[in-house]
Amino acid sequence: MKVSWNWLSDGLDWSGARENTSTPMTPKALADLLTSLGLEVEEMESQAQAFDHVVTAQILEKKPHPQADRLSLCKVSIGKGDPLDIVCGAQNMKAGDKIVLAQVGANLPNGMKIAQGKIRGEVSNGMLCSETELGFAKESEGLLILPPEAEVGIPLAEYLHKNDTIFTLKLTANRGDCLSHQGLAREIAAALGISLKPMPVGKNWSEIAAHGSSKIQVALHAGEEGRQFYGVHISGVKIGPSPEWLVRRLESVGSRSINNVVDATNFVMLELGQPTHAYDASTLKGNLVQIRTARAGEKIVLLDGSEVELKGGELVIADSENPVALAGVMGGKYSEVSESTTDLYLECAEFSPVSVRKMASGFQKHTDAAHRFERGIDPEGLEKAMARLTSLILDLAGGEIKGVSFAKNETKKKPPIVLNPNWLCGFLGLEVADEKIEKILKAQGCSVNTQNKLEWIVVAPSHRHDLSLREDLAEEVARAVGYDQIPSTVPALSSQPLAVSSEPTFAGFRLLNRAKDMLAASGLSEAWNFSFTSASWLKTLGFEPGLKVKNPLSEEHECLVPSLLPGLIQNALGNWNHHFGSESPAIRLFEIRPTFAYLASEGEAGKEVSPQVRALSETQTNTQEKFKLAFAISGARMASGLKVDHQEVDFYDVKAIVESLLQSLGSRGVRFIPLHQSRNANTPLHGLFHPGQSVEVLAGNQVAGVFGLMHPAYAKSLKARAPLWLCEIDWEMLAKLSRSVLDAPSFSPWSEFPPMERDFALVVKEEVTAEKLTALALKAGKPIAKSAKIFDVYRGSQVAQGMTSVGVRVIFFTEGRSLQESETEAASTQIIQAWKKELGADLRSS
Amino acid sequence: MLEKIQSLGEQGLAQISSVTSLDELEQARVHWLGKKGAFSEVLKGLGSVSSEERPKIGAAANEWKSKIEMALDARKSRFESEDLERRLRTERIDPSLPARALHKGSLHPVTQTTRKIVDILARLGFDVTTGPEIETEFLNFEAVNIPKDHPARDMQDTFFMGPGVVLRTHTSAVQMRALRSRPWPVRILCPGAVYRCDNDATHLPMFHQVEGLWVDRKVRMSDLKGTLEFLAKELFGNETKIRLRPSYFPFVEPGAEVDVSCFQCRTKPSAHCRICKGSGWLEVLGAGMVHPRLFEMAGYDPKEVQGLAFGLGVERIAMLLNHIPDLRLMVQGDVRFLSQF
Repeated sequence: MKVSWNWLSDGLDWSGARENTSTPMTPKALADLLTSLGLEVEEMESQAQAFDHVVTAQILEKKPHPQADRLSLCKVSIGKGDPLDIVCGAQNMKAGDKIVLAQVGANLPNGMKIAQGKIRGEVSNGMLCSETELGFAKESEGLLILPPEAEVGIPLAEYLHKNDTIFTLKLTANRGDCLSHQGLAREIAAALGISLKPMPVGKNWSEIAAHGSSKIQVALHAGEEGRQFYGVHISGVKIGPSPEWLVRRLESVGSRSINNVVDATNFVMLELGQPTHAYDASTLKGNLVQIRTARAGEKIVLLDGSEVELKGGELVIADSENPVALAGVMGGKYSEVSESTTDLYLECAEFSPVSVRKMASGFQKHTDAAHRFERGIDPEGLEKAMARLTSLILDLAGGEIKGVSFAKNETKKKPPIVLNPNWLCGFLGLEVADEKIEKILKAQGCSVNTQNKLEWIVVAPSHRHDLSLREDLAEEVARAVGYDQIPSTVPALSSQPLAVSSEPTFAGFRLLNRAKDMLAASGLSEAWNFSFTSASWLKTLGFEPGLKVKNPLSEEHECLVPSLLPGLIQNALGNWNHHFGSESPAIRLFEIRPTFAYLASEGEAGKEVSPQVRALSETQTNTQEKFKLAFAISGARMASGLKVDHQEVDFYDVKAIVESLLQSLGSRGVRFIPLHQSRNANTPLHGLFHPGQSVEVLAGNQVAGVFGLMHPAYAKSLKARAPLWLCEIDWEMLAKLSRSVLDAPSFSPWSEFPPMERDFALVVKEEVTAEKLTALALKAGKPIAKSAKIFDVYRGSQVAQGMTSVGVRVIFFTEGRSLQESETEAASTQIIQAWKKELGADLRSS
Repeated sequence: MLEKIQSLGEQGLAQISSVTSLDELEQARVHWLGKKGAFSEVLKGLGSVSSEERPKIGAAANEWKSKIEMALDARKSRFESEDLERRLRTERIDPSLPARALHKGSLHPVTQTTRKIVDILARLGFDVTTGPEIETEFLNFEAVNIPKDHPARDMQDTFFMGPGVVLRTHTSAVQMRALRSRPWPVRILCPGAVYRCDNDATHLPMFHQVEGLWVDRKVRMSDLKGTLEFLAKELFGNETKIRLRPSYFPFVEPGAEVDVSCFQCRTKPSAHCRICKGSGWLEVLGAGMVHPRLFEMAGYDPKEVQGLAFGLGVERIAMLLNHIPDLRLMVQGDVRFLSQF
């Protein structure tokens, strides 16, 4: 809301402020005060500042520039001192004209800075201004010529009466009472302990009401929704332009002048916070104005020209036949005040905030009136506002009062607040004397009964809808004393902290952090992608667009992600695009965060085909969030080094990251099987991977995820610049198999006696996997074969086609004694025989 | 024979002193002291010597042999130390060549900042709890005293998922889950992602908050101030001050906006400070005393308990701490950005 310093000053006696503080109140000090009261001043603009060094002046003499046909040399008077020489390019002025001069040092609204200069050899001490240069018009021709009676040599701001300071306030939704100059003045007066000046009210309501009942009757048919209605019938008005003081005042706070009557209603709203409306009385049918709920199908064309069709139940003002206004939101076109209007019917009413808000949001008509009604107007301020409006209109447009009409529903009195001042001090942690609390509350307009020292009875003023609890009063006191006066203490622990380690969400949070640390330790950087993406991107990657936002910002933000890989793949493409240089960049990104899906039960056969998101209860929806762990890597294995060290990452780097993660989480029962052997290979996730260079991750017997190389078909269609290795694992499944954060790893001892080692060189068929060879070795070499690992693999000219040469190292030991050579020999023989028999492996003859 | 031994010995010492390499030295050792060496040859003739003479000749021979032995050893150790010096002179690498470095991983600034906040407040006794990002309208709004058709709804532009379901607009939505799930005292932090329909230079449609809630019998507004002051000092440095300004959030009463003193121009106040724009203060969080309506909703007796609550935007603090000039960098997945933290 825009607020004028001058307007506020009309209602405030600043002299009191001067007594309290040593300096007079300035706009800057006021802005600070308002902000400290919780009425945040976002912006403060001094009108005069824009016209610093700009004055009214008169051309004494005009002659052509000796060097340029299009330019003139002018002698210009500013009323004092010697005339100034000014070079001017405009044509529309003559000697004697009064004009606007920007002197050296001026910064014009259009951004032009005025300095002394020479134009084609002639000195110019400023510039004669056009309307464009002064920011009055977007385009203009020639100089702005002032009327002959204009005073010469005064600042332009003064000449234009632009000597105000305008504040832009960001008011919170609870302070509807501050949406007017008087409301703010009231707040400032209470804060500074100064007095309000009496308002120039004109006639008061009882004088107006003395004109008797109007023939236009008022009826309230909407119960609690339409609470009070005051009407005044004036005839013989003359609609015309508003006087200059009114135009200026409205324009200073960003309100456009329309005509004297409409301006008067806007003025009253901006002054007192009470929206009002003027109807052309001759258009109201049946001499009836009623507040009622709309009937389905009724239509009304509004003042802004739009037509709305009512669904039924909306709150409208109607004559005997049709709705003539959306109550509290906007008037109708049909009953609009026009130039030919002579009979006015003025409305000043109170409507339920919820009814007004429903219409304002429903029809997207967030008008100034609706804004105020939604936040609550002063229910006891209607007579005053109506008196002010009526008096203004009689002044501005003439006419005479034909009669008044009003109706009022019984309103519930606000219940008084019981306040214990000791509680208040304890609540704030601040000692405030009883007398001071009482004084502060009274300054805000509360009535305070302190008869019972521990149970004060406080009644808030009618305009303060935000005061209904003792906590609200505590805030009033804290605001008045100053939040800065509240000391700093720390809350005392009244019980042991919760034993969080066994609390599932906290344990889960810790485990998740451990996984993040581990991935970072493996050289991956944590990325953060939005939870939403576009349907087309999901489709490109073979995913079904699942959960959708109803009101997305754009198509890019429409679908909630079912997987983290779409985001990470996009990151990889982005990094490739940003990168220049001969090597492809190292991309090593991970994320652990939720993905989104319907509850499993929603997708079951027999249920709705495409379910919609809905609440199942106050606390549950039919959606679920599955945390996933995902990463994407590409580029060099090492971060730096020479050419000789340069190798691209491959499957075994990815496997290393996953294995060290599992190890550090203490996860048990996680297995990998080649993707081409998977029985679930038709999921969108599986489809992203190269079946021959990826594995499926099994947690117990459940599919928990996949890792490996991005499918070559995607690599091609997405124009991947380098092989991209991906991994996504269901975090919850992994977490279930992981060591709890409570369990520390257990120590396991190693053998005291030296182990024995045997190396075997085998030739096997290519299909025989390393895992089969090592598993069989451990089985056949029981119980002394304790570990078996592959240390070398060779395929090529030295071995037959389709065969692989494999080096296997087996380590033997036994607890509590040294092994005999013969035991190791026997076990080795068994292993060799088993390899031969079960896997067709031969010892390689060297 | 004594003369012969003497002359052999002198010849030997002379020859050893002129040897120039370890190889020659070894040849010299064999030549003089080997089984078939010069001394052995001479001593073969010992049989023809009288038994009185023999001990004398033997002693003389041993004396010369040990002299030669010492000369050989001295010579050898000199050659070896010369050789070591030469190696140390020549075996040099260029330590300025690039390291064969492992990739250094990193956590996102949002994660790091969240952890910082959680760690600091954990020292005061706060625990962590979390809740879903797709939330019911009830828990996101009604339960925290933002009724339907109330202007306070305008404060947060909401993404809707379906009837009664929204993407949570604040982590305050977790408050009611926490309050309903346990008896007081409650001391919790709720970190997590939140969503609002806003997308410009200073707003992302998804961002992160940490919500704090402390409910007990005698929690005071001064406790709120002290808690936040501690947090501000631990985050931004011990000289940091905080300022509370009255404000309005439906779930608290009284409510406050909280500013921290600008850490950039603390030592050198400047009207042109890029961080605080010359105001000296940075707006970082909203806070207040828990509204009694929330206690009623949670099934607590509002006459029995009081609470403090605060919520802060993690990105804002991460930007300040890490000097990140543009919010958008956070979500672009650019390795040039992410690998810096």
